[in-house]
Amino acid sequence: MRGATNRGRHSMRLLPASRFALAWILAATPAMAADTLASMPSDLSVTVYRAPTRRSGSITLSALGGFALISETRIVRLPAGLSRLRFEGVADGIEPSTAIVTGLPAGVIEKNREGKLLSPTALVAAAVGKPVTLLRTDKKTGKSARLAGTIRSDAGGGVVFETSEGAEALRCSGLPESLSFMGVADLAATPTLSVQVRSAEPVTRTVTLSYLARDFDWGADYVATVAADGKTMDLGAWVTLANGNGGGLPSAQLQVVAGRVNRESGEVEPLDVGGPILAQCWPRGSTSDLPQYLQIDRAWPLGAARNRAAGAINPMAMAAAGLAEVTATAKKVEQEQLGDLKLYRVPERTTVASRQSKQVRLLDRSSIPITHVYGADLAGDDDAMSAAAHLLLRTINDAAHHLGLPLPSGRVAVFAARDGATLLDHESNLRDLAVDEEVEVDMGDSPDVQVRAAKETTTIDPARTHELPLVPGVLHLRSAQVEAVNHVDISNALGVEIQFELRLRLPEGGRVVRADHPLGSKNGRPIFRLTIPANETVTVRYQWQHTTG
Amino acid sequence: MREHLLSIGWVLCLLAGAPAMAADRTLSVTIYADDLALVQDRRDIEVKGGRQRIEFQDVSAQIRPETASLTAGDISIVEQNFDFDLLTPAKLMEKAVGREVTIVRVNPATGAETREEALVLATNGGVVLKIGQRIEVLRDDGLPVRVIFDKVPENLRARPTLSVTVIGGRAGTRPATLSYLTPGLGWRADYVALYNEADSKIDVQGWVTLTNSSGVTYDNAQTLLVAGSPTQVDGGGRQPNYYRGQQPRPTLQQAGTESGSRERLGDYYLYPLAERTTIANLQTKQVSFLDVHGVPAEHGYEFRNRWLGTAETPQSAKSVYSFSTSAHAGLGDQLPAGVLRFYMRDKRGDPQFIGESRIDHTPMGSTLSLATGDAFDVKVRAVVDKRTRLSTFNWQSDMRYELSNALPRPVTVKLLQEGLWGDSRITAESQKSTRRSAETAEWAVTVPANAKASLTATFDTRY
Repeated sequence: MRGATNRGRHSMRLLPASRFALAWILAATPAMAADTLASMPSDLSVTVYRAPTRRSGSITLSALGGFALISETRIVRLPAGLSRLRFEGVADGIEPSTAIVTGLPAGVIEKNREGKLLSPTALVAAAVGKPVTLLRTDKKTGKSARLAGTIRSDAGGGVVFETSEGAEALRCSGLPESLSFMGVADLAATPTLSVQVRSAEPVTRTVTLSYLARDFDWGADYVATVAADGKTMDLGAWVTLANGNGGGLPSAQLQVVAGRVNRESGEVEPLDVGGPILAQCWPRGSTSDLPQYLQIDRAWPLGAARNRAAGAINPMAMAAAGLAEVTATAKKVEQEQLGDLKLYRVPERTTVASRQSKQVRLLDRSSIPITHVYGADLAGDDDAMSAAAHLLLRTINDAAHHLGLPLPSGRVAVFAARDGATLLDHESNLRDLAVDEEVEVDMGDSPDVQVRAAKETTTIDPARTHELPLVPGVLHLRSAQVEAVNHVDISNALGVEIQFELRLRLPEGGRVVRADHPLGSKNGRPIFRLTIPANETVTVRYQWQHTTG
Repeated sequence: MREHLLSIGWVLCLLAGAPAMAADRTLSVTIYADDLALVQDRRDIEVKGGRQRIEFQDVSAQIRPETASLTAGDISIVEQNFDFDLLTPAKLMEKAVGREVTIVRVNPATGAETREEALVLATNGGVVLKIGQRIEVLRDDGLPVRVIFDKVPENLRARPTLSVTVIGGRAGTRPATLSYLTPGLGWRADYVALYNEADSKIDVQGWVTLTNSSGVTYDNAQTLLVAGSPTQVDGGGRQPNYYRGQQPRPTLQQAGTESGSRERLGDYYLYPLAERTTIANLQTKQVSFLDVHGVPAEHGYEFRNRWLGTAETPQSAKSVYSFSTSAHAGLGDQLPAGVLRFYMRDKRGDPQFIGESRIDHTPMGSTLSLATGDAFDVKVRAVVDKRTRLSTFNWQSDMRYELSNALPRPVTVKLLQEGLWGDSRITAESQKSTRRSAETAEWAVTVPANAKASLTATFDTRY
């Protein structure tokens, strides 16, 4: 089958020139559209958008959920009259309904995307009822016999053909048999977009074809290096983008867009990528067979096959390579405002090869003042709870903190300085951060700072109980409020004084009524902001109540 | 050079074939928006006089045979059959049970062929043959054996086939029309809107996108698209309204009351394609139906907070574009349901995609408000500051909304507090609200350039 496919491609490459010559003959017959092939792109622009569902974190090479807007500049020569202008070599993830062609003379009648691709099954389907040649080779002598015949059916995965001898089924005899076809029946190797256009006179135009294509993605990968004194950090970032399509985009203007754009979960236009000729036969049981079931080998859908291929790339190796490059100097992307989104332009033309991930420098900032904040969340009635505190690195995205630029969502790897070298401390995700927003980098749990909560005493105030007659005079329900003195120990095993935030999550309508430390409020929730000296334990006592206004 | 000659040969052959095809078959296809199409296939049939079977092989593979009807002059229909028993090697063998076939044994050492006649006895699990007086299982030894059948059985076909048995009056050729309904053909609209930030105007192009997965190609068909869904209302896009759950954002702000010049059929709008077209199997086809320039559009921000919605981190406001479909300062057309994609030019003047939104069938004169995505720089943080129980069924909720704007220009955010269920009142607020509906309060909060703004409101809810 490989031979037939290659021949098909070969002849397609040769066809345009001859079809140009023919266009003149055809101009006289209005019903026929002359086939015209647009030149390959002379200029390419690619804008990559993130997966709309991912609010933070890095990309996954095996499942690229984003997309790209691809704009191709091509040169077309249109004959007078009706022609079918074909655009070959568009990205295979194209969403045909998003295609826009600008620059054509008036008279665009329709745009088409053929969903039937050249494949063994498509060849057979196209040849049903048509003459084909059957090749039967003798295994012993190597001689092959050519037999003219007609395919009668390709239903159900089997092929029935008829020759002068009678009807037979393909490859059911145990002899090496194959089919040889007359032509490729207008089937293309990749999804091809075509435009029906009518032009009054022969023209040469430069047109732009733009469309959205699936299977792209990008994310920001930040590397934060915390200085030895823990007071500042350096922040560097890469734009990591990936193309999961089978086709490359050579020498393209490259942009990425940050911010979440709406995508309607679009219906996928039908596409038949075909499969092998399976040659299902009649029941082939023998007297020595156990019962057997027909195993039907299914062709993988386009995306699935691609994802499997992409999965072969080791993302860990990729990440490591990214880290190794951090010290390299690179041209940075240029940021501009695009409506309510942020557009980052790669300064130089670059080639985005097929199934490739690429990194471009996003930013480098140094000496960003940071504070280490430890914290814990407590429910109001936690008893005998013990947990490690949570550590956050906090700074503000403004000029005073050596930042003050939009930070697109991604992943942050925090490194700590140690004797001139750096060690990985923690990895976490970052959401889209606008200028002047508070930046919090999650550093995970810190076992040296432990929080233990317990109820010290519980009492019931008889004045605040209510009798609820369930069955009057017989059964009563008493509603009482248990008042507990909560006791929280925060112990610090670190050799330095730390800032600690104890956040309470009280039930609806609950309010702290007594506490031995000053109480603040953050996001509508009570909070104790504490300073825990080095190697010491601080105890907080508080009491809360359901309150009625 | 050989390929050149070959392709010339092809085209010439097509030229010769095309007029004959066009003359004896006229297809018209009416496509509804919800995966349903009416196909009318008009062709010349040869009536012999008397009882006769007419086959239609190139009908949709997904045809609903019960809806098929054939009309022609001076014939009466006896019966109508839809054969979906397909010709496969297994079926071929099954139908040969009780019949003679020719088997050709090939000697693997010499390649010599031995022909024998065999009677097929059964095909259950394996093929049992009777050759002379011997009973054998076909290819039990794994050696090559060809099986040759005399002919293909009558009612086994490569594709499902509709056949009609008729009794014809006078003999002769006359036109007949076969019409049927089939799923597998559908269409929707795709819109491209280019927003010009400098003068707040949009250029809108509308394309009809039709797809064919019905299994056959409709050659040179006269195509009519019907906007409207004849059998079901809204294909399941609307979520049921759960208790205090957030409803989908309404896109239609104001329903229009203008009528356009487009052709109608009952309450549906019709979009006939200007020229005959070939709808190939698995093809996606787009035809332009709308091209309007310079329509005024408004860009704004919107934030909807669900009841008691509180956030640890600021949430992006939605970036919203609204425009009219009116004949005056609008698109001046009704819009069939589809997806509207927004583009905007970047600093170099290249259009870039900024988000898309789905619209329903929209009458002319309506106002649409479409969200394209989240604003990077405009964020809102809603916080429940305090919840106080005033009595068993009466709560007071103090809400605070903190808005931030990192853009170098002031913005106005339409802030919506939803879920004001039961008897909910606003007892105090830092800015006057309007009650869009009983359950939704609305504020228009202006946030200065590169600054923050804050809004507080106290709700009294009783139920």
